[in-house]
Amino acid sequence: MVYYITTILVYAGVDAMACLGLSQQFGIAGVTNFGFIIFQAAGAYTAGVLSLPPDSANGGFQSYVLGWNLPFPLPWIGAAIVGALVSVPFAGVVGRRLRGDFAAVALLVTAVMFNLLVTNFVPLFNGAAGLSLVPAPLQSAVNPQSGAYQWGYGAAAILLALGVYWFVNRITESPYGRTLRAMRDNDAVADSLGKDLRALRTSSLVIGGAIAGLSGGVLVGFINLWDPQAWGYAETVVLFAAVIIGGSGNHRGAMLGALLVPVAFEEATRYIPPVAGNPNLVPALQWVVIGLLIVAFLWFRPQGVLPERRRRLATRAPSADAEAALPNPAAGGLDAPAGGLDAPAGGLDALAPPVDRGRLPHAAGGSAVPERTAAPILQCRDLVREFDGVRVVDGVSMAFERGRLTGIIGPNGAGKSTVLAMLAGTLEPTDGRVLLDGEDITGLPAFRRARRGLVRTFQLASEFKRLTVLENLLSAIPDQRGETLLGAVRGRRFWGAQEREAIERAQAMLERFGLLGIADRYAGDLSGGQRRLVEIMRALMAQPRVLLLDEPMAGVHPRLAHQIGMSLVSLCQEGMTIVMVEHELSIMDEFCDPVFVLAEGRVLASGTMAQLRATEEVVEAYLVG
Amino acid sequence: MSLFVESVGFGFVTASVLALASVGFTLQFAVTNVLNLAYAAVMTVSMYAAYMLNERGVSIWLSAPAAIAAGALISVALNGLVYTPFKRRGSSPIAMVIVSLGMTLILEFGTQAVAGPTNVSYSFSQGATVRAGSFDLTVVQLLLIAISLVIMAAVHVLIRHTKLGKAMRATAANPDLARNCGIRTSRVVAATWLISGALCGLAGLAFGINSGTFGATSTDLFLVLILAAVFLGGPGEPYGAMLGALVIGVATEASASVIVSDYKDVIAFLILLAMMTVRPQGLFGARV
Repeated sequence: MVYYITTILVYAGVDAMACLGLSQQFGIAGVTNFGFIIFQAAGAYTAGVLSLPPDSANGGFQSYVLGWNLPFPLPWIGAAIVGALVSVPFAGVVGRRLRGDFAAVALLVTAVMFNLLVTNFVPLFNGAAGLSLVPAPLQSAVNPQSGAYQWGYGAAAILLALGVYWFVNRITESPYGRTLRAMRDNDAVADSLGKDLRALRTSSLVIGGAIAGLSGGVLVGFINLWDPQAWGYAETVVLFAAVIIGGSGNHRGAMLGALLVPVAFEEATRYIPPVAGNPNLVPALQWVVIGLLIVAFLWFRPQGVLPERRRRLATRAPSADAEAALPNPAAGGLDAPAGGLDAPAGGLDALAPPVDRGRLPHAAGGSAVPERTAAPILQCRDLVREFDGVRVVDGVSMAFERGRLTGIIGPNGAGKSTVLAMLAGTLEPTDGRVLLDGEDITGLPAFRRARRGLVRTFQLASEFKRLTVLENLLSAIPDQRGETLLGAVRGRRFWGAQEREAIERAQAMLERFGLLGIADRYAGDLSGGQRRLVEIMRALMAQPRVLLLDEPMAGVHPRLAHQIGMSLVSLCQEGMTIVMVEHELSIMDEFCDPVFVLAEGRVLASGTMAQLRATEEVVEAYLVG
Repeated sequence: MSLFVESVGFGFVTASVLALASVGFTLQFAVTNVLNLAYAAVMTVSMYAAYMLNERGVSIWLSAPAAIAAGALISVALNGLVYTPFKRRGSSPIAMVIVSLGMTLILEFGTQAVAGPTNVSYSFSQGATVRAGSFDLTVVQLLLIAISLVIMAAVHVLIRHTKLGKAMRATAANPDLARNCGIRTSRVVAATWLISGALCGLAGLAFGINSGTFGATSTDLFLVLILAAVFLGGPGEPYGAMLGALVIGVATEASASVIVSDYKDVIAFLILLAMMTVRPQGLFGARV
C-alpha cells in the first residue's frame, strides 16, 4: 500500500512539473511544441547515463554512452541542463516564417524521428530495450526499498513540483510574462512594438526544456528504467490533453490537469476489471476516452477547468466628471453614429490640448511656420513591392520632416498600407531603400526599428485580445527592466518600482482619452472604436520618435476623431513625427501638412490640401465629387 | 547493385500506395486548409473493414469496396461532425490539429478495442513473380502499381476536365470568391471529403496488402511518409503529391539497401523537416 501511494506521489510530482513546463511554453508563450516529450526523455536518459556505471558493468548486457556513476544530485542537475540544451535547436523550427500548425506538425515529426533513432541506434541508450538498473539517488546511504526512502522520494517530487510552480509563476507574473502573452496573442504586433520574438521563444523553450528534463531525471531515479516506449508521441498527446483540460495559461490549471489526466484517469481505469475475451479492451478504451476528452474540452470548455485569470492592475478609478464630458466611451459610444451629430458637451475642449490654432502649420495664408531642421527624419527612395508579379508599389519616394503631421491619401489599392508596412519593416520591399535619420534601415527587422523609435499601428484590429487594456498599453513600453527572463527571475523587487510608474503613466493616458473605466477589461471585448483608441494609445506608450498610423480614425466617432487629431498635433509640436494614412479628407484638411497622394502605386502629388485640391490630376484621380 | 535495383522496384510499390494516400490527403487540405492528421487513422479503420470481410472468406479484391466505403463515410462524417463545427466557430489551425490528434486516438484505439491488439493479415495469394524490366515483382505488387496509375489518371481527369474538378480548384484557391461566383462550396467540400476519403480507404487497403501484417497503430509511421510526400510536392498540390510520393517511396526503399534498413524512414523525416524549414510551400506550391 505504501508503495502504491508513494508511486502516485512521485508520478503526480513528475507530471505536474512536466505540465508546468508545457504550460509555460504553450499556455503563456503560445508555442505549440508537440516535440515536448523529447525534453523529458533527454533528461531521463541523461540522469540515467550519468548515474549508471560504465556499460560493461552488471555483466555488460546493456550498451550506452557515458556511464559516469555520478552521485546525487548531479544526475538531476545534468538532466535539467540537457533538457534546456536540447530545446535550443527547436527554437529554430518554431520561427515566425512557418504557419503555426505546420510548425506543430514538424515538431511532432521530430519527436517521432528521435524516438526512431534512439530505438534503433543501440550504442546510444541501449535501443529498444532501454536503460535498466538505473541507480536510485542516495541508494548507498538509504535502502531504496524502505518505507522511509519511498516517502522521502514522494515528498521530494512534490516539493520540487511546488518549487517549479513558484518559479514559473514568478516569471509569468512579470513584464516578461506579459510580453510572452502579447506574443501569443498577436506575434506580428508584438514584433512591431520592439519585442525580439526569437529571443522570447528561445527563452521560453529553454525554461520548459529544463523543467521537463528535471522531471525526467526525477522519474528515472524512481522507476530505475527508461525506454523509448515511455516517450512516444502518445505521451505528448496526454500532456497536451492535461494542459488543455486543466486550463492552458493558468499554472494551477496545468497542475490540476496533471492530477486529472495522467494520474487520476490512468489510476481510475486500473480498477476496471479486464474483460474476459479482450484483455486489451480497457487500455485501448483509455486512449479513446482521452481522445474524447480532448475534443470535448476543446468544444465545450476550451479555456479549461481553471481558465487564465485576468490581471487587474489598475490602481485608480475614473473620476465622475472626466467621463461625463465625452461621448461615453465605456459604453461603446466611440463608434461613428449612424444618424446626425449632437452638439458636443461643454467639457470636450477641456480635454483637448491647449493649441493655438493660428500657429498650426497649415494656417490659411499664414507663414507662421516654425523652423524645421533640414534633414528629413524618415524617407524612402524608389520603394517597390511586388505581389505575384503585380507591382502594388511602383517606385515611391517620400520624405517626412521632423515634427510634422504628414498625411498619405489615395484611392483603395493605391498601395498606402503597403508603403507604410515597408517603412515600418513589417513587409520587405522588393526594391528601394528606407532611411531613418539618414541611416539605411532597409534590412532592419520591424522590432529593431521599433527600438529605434519607429512604431506603427495596424489597419485591422490588432489589440492583444487576452490582455487587459492596461496590459496592452504596458506592453508597448520599451526597455522595461522586468521584460527579460533574468529581470523576471530577479523578481518584483527588481522591476516593481518601474512597473508602478509605468502603470501610472498608462492610467494617465487612459484618463486623457476617457477610457480609464475599461482599464481592466480584456481588449478583445471592446467595441471597434474603443479598440482603435487602445491601439493608438498603445503606440504612444512606446514613446516613438516617428509614429506611423494606418487609418486610425476608421470607425471612430467624428468628435473623438477631432480630439485625437488635436492630440496628435500637440505631440508633433513636442517633437514627434507622425505619418498618417487616412481616408477622411476633413482630417487631412484640418491636421495634416504636407499630404502625399498615392495612386496605383506611385506618388501622384504632394503639398497642402489646398494646393492638392487645386491640382487637376489629383482631383480627377481621387477627389472627384 | 542488384539489391539496390530490387529496392528501387519495391520503392515503386511503396510509392504507389503512398500516392493514393498523399493525393487524398492533399486534396482534402487544398479545399479545407486543415491538416487532417486523423487521415492515417481512417486508413486503419478502412483496412480493418476490408479485413472483416476477408477473414470470413471474401476475396481481398472483392472486399475493396468495404474499405473504400468505410474511408469515404468516415471522412465525410469527420468533416461534417467535427471539423466543420470547429471551423465555423473560428478555431485556430493549432486547435484543429489538436482535434485531429484526438480523433486519431478515438479511431485507432477504438478499432483496437474491437479488433484486439494482435496483428492480423489479409489472406490472398501474392501470385507468381514476374520480371518487369530489371525488377522482380509479384503479380499483386504489379497490380498495386497498376491500380495506383489508373487512379492517378482518374484524379487528373477529375481535376482538369470535370466541372466538379474546376469547382474544387476554385474553392481551394479562394473560397469566398468561389461562393460569390455561384459555386456551392459546402457541396464541393463535402464531395472533396467523399473523394479523398475513398482514396484514403483504398490506400488503407493497399497498405494492408503491401504490409503483410498490420495492427491498429501500424499507419502511425506511414502518416509521416504521407506528410513528407505532401510537403515535398506542396500542400494542396495534387500533382506535387504524386511526384512527392514517387520520390519518398523510392528514396525510403532505396536507402534501405544502402544504410541499415531500420533507419530507412528517417530519410523521409529529414526531407519533411527540410521542406518545412526551407520551403514550406513545396516544390509546386504557392501557398504557405
